Amino acid sequence: MLSLRSVTKRYGALTALDGVSLDIARGEFFGLLGPNGAGKSTLMSLAAGLRTPDAGALTLDGIVISPADPASRIPMGLVPQSIALFQDLSAEQNLRVFGELYGLHGAELRTRIDESLAAVGLAERRKDPVKNFSGGMQRRLNLITALLHRPKLLLCDEPTVGVDPQSRNAIFDYLEKCNREGLTIIYSTHYMEEATRLCSRIGIIDHGKIHALGTLDELLTRLPFEEEIVFPVSPASDALAAQLRNNGELATLDGRHRFRPRPDFKLSAFYAQAEALGLPPRNFTAARPSLEAVFLHLTGRTLRE
Amino acid sequence: MSVILTLVRKDIANFRRNRAAVVVTFLVPVVLIYIFGWVFGLNQKDTGPTGIRIAVVNASDNPAAAKLVDALKAEKAFNVITTTTNPDKSTRPLTEEDLRPMIEDDRFRYAVVIPADVVSTKTIGLHLKIFSDPRNDIESQTVNGLLQKTIFSNVPQLLGQSLQARAKDFLGGGRFTQFNRGIADTVASAFGGDPAAIQRTIESGSFGLDRLTTPAKPADPSLRRLDSTDPKAAAAPPAAPADDFFSRLIKIDDVQVVGKNVRSPAATRLVGGWAIMFLLFAVSGGATAYFDEANTGVFQRILSAPVSRAQLLWSRFFYGVLLGLIQLLSMFVAGKFMYGIDIFSHLGNLIAISIFAAAACSSFGMLIAALAPNAAAANGLSTLLVMVMSATGGAWFPMSFMPEFMQKIGKFTVVYWSMEGFLQVLWAQRTFVQLLPTLGILLGITLAVMFVAIWRLNKKAIFA
Ligand SMILES: Nc1ncnc2c1ncn2[C@@H]1O[C@H](COP(=O)(O)OP(=O)(O)O)[C@@H](O)[C@H]1O
Ligand SMILES: [Mg+2]
Repeated sequence: MLSLRSVTKRYGALTALDGVSLDIARGEFFGLLGPNGAGKSTLMSLAAGLRTPDAGALTLDGIVISPADPASRIPMGLVPQSIALFQDLSAEQNLRVFGELYGLHGAELRTRIDESLAAVGLAERRKDPVKNFSGGMQRRLNLITALLHRPKLLLCDEPTVGVDPQSRNAIFDYLEKCNREGLTIIYSTHYMEEATRLCSRIGIIDHGKIHALGTLDELLTRLPFEEEIVFPVSPASDALAAQLRNNGELATLDGRHRFRPRPDFKLSAFYAQAEALGLPPRNFTAARPSLEAVFLHLTGRTLRE
Repeated sequence: MSVILTLVRKDIANFRRNRAAVVVTFLVPVVLIYIFGWVFGLNQKDTGPTGIRIAVVNASDNPAAAKLVDALKAEKAFNVITTTTNPDKSTRPLTEEDLRPMIEDDRFRYAVVIPADVVSTKTIGLHLKIFSDPRNDIESQTVNGLLQKTIFSNVPQLLGQSLQARAKDFLGGGRFTQFNRGIADTVASAFGGDPAAIQRTIESGSFGLDRLTTPAKPADPSLRRLDSTDPKAAAAPPAAPADDFFSRLIKIDDVQVVGKNVRSPAATRLVGGWAIMFLLFAVSGGATAYFDEANTGVFQRILSAPVSRAQLLWSRFFYGVLLGLIQLLSMFVAGKFMYGIDIFSHLGNLIAISIFAAAACSSFGMLIAALAPNAAAANGLSTLLVMVMSATGGAWFPMSFMPEFMQKIGKFTVVYWSMEGFLQVLWAQRTFVQLLPTLGILLGITLAVMFVAIWRLNKKAIFA
């Protein structure tokens, strides 16, 4: 459906997207996972036809997406990363403005406004100015405003930033429902939990490049380990870490050592060494690695710097 | 405490990073002080208005009248015009008949006529005519004061001649000469001197009256009015007895050419300038709103809909025009109710000029949005532009109060042409056709400014 071919975008000397190629199939819930500054919003704005790439091309069902061609944007809806609403206008007025920009009007527009407000639980607050809404309510309105014209492809740029868990769940449920009904979604986030929960396929992006692409399981199998043991940094644990270095991958980040044992390494050996150094077992957590570990493995960084 | 210090440091650093804000913060006061300095004469010893065009028609062959013309020419506030161009490009002296149409054309706003009978044998005193278009109150008061000063310091001779002429008429030629010789002999025998020379002096009209008039400057010449239709007002208040004396002897016919039947002259003259200034301020507020929308991502959302950038920009422009038009008209309606400004007898023309003025101002709002890097800079830049354009364009004080190069700059401002338009409609009561050149100029300004603004906005990243 959406296709990017070696797309490059620069801001002055900074290359925000570096030769990205990507194909999104109809009906996918695609996650774009990467830390701040990775290039997610840039990719979204190119896909939405807000900017022109410096090299490469983006097409939607074969039609080139370009700022110069307003019609090429009709099948898409963009949920900007910021709350892109008129703060002084009511929820209903906001929906009306943007609905009309897509040529909706009259009874049809009214029905759609009613339906979408009800779908995210804002029907009772429809007359209130947006500035009186909580952050979560604004986020919900921000989302449905992009869906009023029933796009085929929804570009969701970090739609849950600064949202309470309740609103977050409301947004997730709504997006999953839309996706089940056939909406293709590209969802950018720096929360691996969100990508894990929502997305059928995930692209890991950093420094303008897509480092890995696949389902959650596919990504996890790319790791050369199946287990990860995490323990806090301390003088005693540093000594342990030094010993472990020969038995697998060891990374130290955010005050924690992360040890990924080689498949042949025996956990019993690990605990023996820990005990010898007088470290209590409750300091250690062993778990199946997460997307976080995948990201770390690929980029040497955590998702939240 | 250290939190406050940190925050203050952050604010200072922020300010210093914003070069436009720095420039505006320091440049605006300097520019304004400069302009006001010119007006109030702080910058130089030799101050006052310059280059006010004034036509002088001298129909008298009296040598003293020629001296008066020379004195007017020597007055640096005046740019004296005495000739006009024929259709065949040759020049000829102005006549009284030329004055009315030329004033109506705004070739000049003041004219002095020294008629053939400046010194009449029928009455004691002088007879002058002043034509004026007092569209700018401060300017016309100043001109009146200066005219008064120049005439008063040159009329004693004319006045003496007037007395002589009356006496000659009364006594008869022969006896009159005898009378003068008698006086001369008496003066010579009492005070010494050559009787023949004294007689010549007396016959030329000089009784030493000129000594009475020096110094005969009213305390504040700019506040004296000669063009008042009320003769009592013309004579009063005298600053010195000599003035009072001459005021009664000099008969000046005042002919106001333009704006005579304007109902509330003072308010009518002022309202245009102030209206346009407020309009500019309002429009520059629109430039700030532009940045609000750009920053909240509203522009992204709008442009991700099937909306082109040009549509977005022009929509803001037209919104500005509409807002400005409503603002202008409400100011005029307020002027109508508060000061009795007559807006309804030329409502169509007033709306026309308001639309064009609002368009020109709105285009400036767009230009500010295009040039400024952020909302704070837009605020500063618009304050600078509005102040400078209002000052040089004549919204606050007559343009003739500024040095001539600044008067020239002022003519490039939207303020000047909008005020011109308002005065043409409300004051000079022009027809729509006569208004067309001004409308054309405003349209030209609008298109030129919009061209630059859109070109810049298209190059600029429209959202952060
Ligand atoms: N308008 C812009 N001008 C200059 N640099 C930008 C602009 N937008 C983004 N960048 C830079 O491009 C890189 C990618 O930014 P972005 O796409 O916003 O990342 P993300 O959305 O993943 O946080 C960052 O380094 C950011 O600073
Ligand atoms: Mg982003």
